[in-house]
Amino acid sequence: MNPPDAGGRPAADGALDEVDLAILDGIREVFQAVDPMPADLPERIRFSLALRDLEVEVARLVADEDQRVPAARGDEQSRMITFDSDSLTIMIRIDSNSDGTARVDGWLAPPRSRTVEMKLPAGSLTAVADEQGRFAFGQVPRGTAQLVVRPAGDGPGDSGRSVVTPALIL
Amino acid sequence: MDRRRSSTVQPTPSRPDRHARIASLLNAARDGRDEAIAEIVGELSPLLWQVARAAGLTCGDAEDVLQTAWVQLLSHLDGIHTSAALAAWLVTTTRREAWRVRAAGRRQLPAEQDWLTAVPDPGPGSEDRVIVDDQQRTLWAAFGKLSPRCQELLRIVAFVPRPDYEAIAGVLGIPRGSIGPTRGRCLAKLRAILPSDLEGSPS
Repeated sequence: MNPPDAGGRPAADGALDEVDLAILDGIREVFQAVDPMPADLPERIRFSLALRDLEVEVARLVADEDQRVPAARGDEQSRMITFDSDSLTIMIRIDSNSDGTARVDGWLAPPRSRTVEMKLPAGSLTAVADEQGRFAFGQVPRGTAQLVVRPAGDGPGDSGRSVVTPALIL
Repeated sequence: MDRRRSSTVQPTPSRPDRHARIASLLNAARDGRDEAIAEIVGELSPLLWQVARAAGLTCGDAEDVLQTAWVQLLSHLDGIHTSAALAAWLVTTTRREAWRVRAAGRRQLPAEQDWLTAVPDPGPGSEDRVIVDDQQRTLWAAFGKLSPRCQELLRIVAFVPRPDYEAIAGVLGIPRGSIGPTRGRCLAKLRAILPSDLEGSPS
């Protein structure tokens, strides 16, 4: 093999030597210490992947803002979140109910009548967006939630796919 | 680096059966088996986290980007059959999504990447919380002197399962077959900075 030369350079043929591997191990350990992946992230990802269909359209979070001055988390100000996909914009406003649950009002743009599913760890809630694209979930348990907008009808001309958002924490 | 130490730390999986195992998980995932996807998620998310964070995203944005990348994978399973292709596809998609978020200017980091500034300066006390090891501290100081490009490359490669290095090299814009020289340049720079006792001399 090619041991490092006196100057400590890696082998000229580009193969990783033992010192290279040890250095990479060291880099990995440091980043695992200073910037670890949140331990619960894989579970959130699995939650958002538990979809009935594999062919989906991704809606990306493009804005997530509180209506008032940002304060400590867990307060009761309303929160506006916007998701964009290739075909659809989904806007939701999250408010607190007095019983601790969340109220979610949403709009689809362009306006469409669609079935909107709110996936929750314990199951899912369903709402129907009206012709103006409005939908509402009156009482949603706090926690992880994901929106799935189902395509319209089963007509032969409908090639629509479900639009799915990332899982968010209500 | 310390040989004794590296021998006790489990490297990223490099078992020869890894390729067969991932291929079979991909097959199961195509058949809609959630547990197969769940296992792949557990295995590769730590790498993708580093990819997103190395691109300068906040933790919140990185979480969203990882979810988005994984959901997109569902629609692309038909074209991905090997461990290397899977890692390369996920790294590519995660980087593209990360750039998209950065381009949108949403919740950007301050000028300096926070994962760099999060590491305390040498001094008694606080750094012991995250970096407990003198060698790690020395390695970190040397790492910080590398170019941003080398830092990103080495940070990502350090989390890639070893058998998949070549595929990831292509993703990172390094011509296939030349991971050695390019990897060597970044690693050689790092080794030149490291004190000789840490750099490790052949014995």
